[in-house]
Amino acid sequence: ESRLASSQLGADSLDIFIILLNCIFDRGLFSRKQKEAQSAPGWKLFGKVPLRESPPKDSKTIQQEYEAKTSKGGHSPPRPSQGRRKNLEFEPLSTTALILEDRPSNLPAKPEEEAQRHRQEYDEMVAEAKKRELKEAQKKKQQMKERFKQEDNISSAMVVWNTEILPNWDSMRGSRRVKDLWWQGLPPNVRGRVWSLAIGNELNITPELYEIFLSRAKERWGTFRDTGCEVETEESGTSVADRESSLDLIKLDISRTFPSLFIFQKGGPYHDLLHSVLGAYTCYRPDVGYVQGMSFIAAVLILNMEEADAFIAFANLLNKPCQMAFFRVDHELMLKYFAAFQVFFEENLPRLFSHFQSSNLTPDLYLIDWIFTLYSKSLPLDVACRVWDVFCRDGEEFLFRTGLGILRLYEEVLLCMDFIHIAQFLTRLPDDVSVDRLFGCISCTQMTSNNRKWTQVFSALMKDKEVDKSSSPSLKSS
Amino acid sequence: MAKQYDVLFRLLLLGDSGVGKTCLLCRFTDNEFHPSHISTIGVDFKMKTLEIDGIKVRIQIWDTAGQERYQTITKQYYRRAQGIFLVYDITSERSFQHIMKWASDVDEYAPDKVQKILVGNKSDEEQKRQVATAQGNKLAKAYGMDFFETSAFTNHNITESFTRLAELVLQANKKDLDVLRVSINDKLNLAALEEEEGVCDSSSDAQKTCWC
Repeated sequence: ESRLASSQLGADSLDIFIILLNCIFDRGLFSRKQKEAQSAPGWKLFGKVPLRESPPKDSKTIQQEYEAKTSKGGHSPPRPSQGRRKNLEFEPLSTTALILEDRPSNLPAKPEEEAQRHRQEYDEMVAEAKKRELKEAQKKKQQMKERFKQEDNISSAMVVWNTEILPNWDSMRGSRRVKDLWWQGLPPNVRGRVWSLAIGNELNITPELYEIFLSRAKERWGTFRDTGCEVETEESGTSVADRESSLDLIKLDISRTFPSLFIFQKGGPYHDLLHSVLGAYTCYRPDVGYVQGMSFIAAVLILNMEEADAFIAFANLLNKPCQMAFFRVDHELMLKYFAAFQVFFEENLPRLFSHFQSSNLTPDLYLIDWIFTLYSKSLPLDVACRVWDVFCRDGEEFLFRTGLGILRLYEEVLLCMDFIHIAQFLTRLPDDVSVDRLFGCISCTQMTSNNRKWTQVFSALMKDKEVDKSSSPSLKSS
Repeated sequence: MAKQYDVLFRLLLLGDSGVGKTCLLCRFTDNEFHPSHISTIGVDFKMKTLEIDGIKVRIQIWDTAGQERYQTITKQYYRRAQGIFLVYDITSERSFQHIMKWASDVDEYAPDKVQKILVGNKSDEEQKRQVATAQGNKLAKAYGMDFFETSAFTNHNITESFTRLAELVLQANKKDLDVLRVSINDKLNLAALEEEEGVCDSSSDAQKTCWC
């Protein structure tokens, strides 16, 4: 609405201001770091020269103006210790004054030639700065236009999702059109629903079941709090100490989940929700328990759906083969995933692949972080959500494709880095990663190797008894 | 171009989840402290160059996830380390008891020559202390390790403990420093590294602002 209102006002600057405000509000939650608004460098120096006045004033008028101003300033007497130039009442006409005023009386006057040159240089600077300003303004306008377009796209996509796709989910989900729309990113307010539907509920968990596990978890926290270390357990298999450390660890990790958002910390609005979902899960699946990394996945789900739905999606998501392999830390199986990744890595980015090989940089060093948290820790949250969108559409293959997309996006940078710099870079990706460029790189990534798809490569590797040694020497079991 | 470093080696931070491994590291490399740090998943990396006895020592520090479940993964990294920090939290008896487990895993998986020191972190939280300094000392003695109580919060003993471990590694490898260098050259492309670091040096472009 504010957009409409502002365009009626017509005043450009106000318009831009409001739009900027909108941007800040829109993006505030999800962008990890606000980019500082960049003011056009240089132009501010000439702030006193109005933008509209295209032909620069001739030096005489400027000189006159300047003199008028100084004499106007005269009504409050200048401080005795300061000369004319240091009079605080007088704000120099920035560079204008510096260039065009006469030199102090104790210095010889500017030669005419020099004065001429200074005037000329000044004019050039003004012209240059003006050009820059114009360019900047055009760029901004373009950005606004794109943003408007994006917003329009989102709102029209939202209508399509709500009125056409979601009511006919089963028949439409596989269609080309839906898939394309899906790739472009789910509108935030249907995201949770689409994720839920796409992840499915093959475990048949009901909200009631969630309540049961939640109350069991709360009971356990209660006894844990009351008795400290002595917790009676009826289940076998997991030791008391394990359970305890698991409860402790959840508590510890909740505040360490997206700490920059300040919403999961103690007292934050999502703290208890995250605690509940994770606690209920450890009761639902004591055989898996809580594993670090889970808190990030649960947090992203909580940000996009209701509590019980988040739990249902969480449990079903973790039940997928790839996630189960990782969260159970099934080492052998993880090695197969890494090996399959390496096949496509070499296929897509041979130069970078051999650079990594010679640096002894194995995929486990970065993939563990990426896969365990589904990129929510290493990518900005809004970008990670876009990855989740297509992950929900395409399954585990897309996680590895995204990894290759990231490597492709930063290939040139990575090629001139050594081991430690690459490792640091990949576990802390730049905050300003462009989602469009990333998705461009992902779509350039072919998930076929010798006419074999990901699943075929993976199942072939599963049949191999031995994982190729070169794939991950560091993770080789000894 | 001047050499960035003479020797390079890896140090590993081990210890229970939440004892402050990442905080120790951030304090050491960036002199920063964040009370609620993002959890470490798998392994994280930092590096710093120190000068010890005129030798430029670059240390890569591998910061590992503390949860027991992750040990299947992190154990595989032990053998790539030349020095290991065993970290516990002085306000957590349990984290101290687990040092035994960590130490025995190190014996099993790390190279024989690996240097270890024991670190009791959070020394600023005296009122919550569960592990006496004497206990830490005793355990360290039993293992033949040096011992430091540190606080990433107050920056107590941080540089000291990192420097000490670096010195120990250096001493242990002094005889075959050249061998070590060769082996590093094998693993890491030194030349490429130096080139790359030269590029990183970005100087702010000087603007011509003075017209007087």
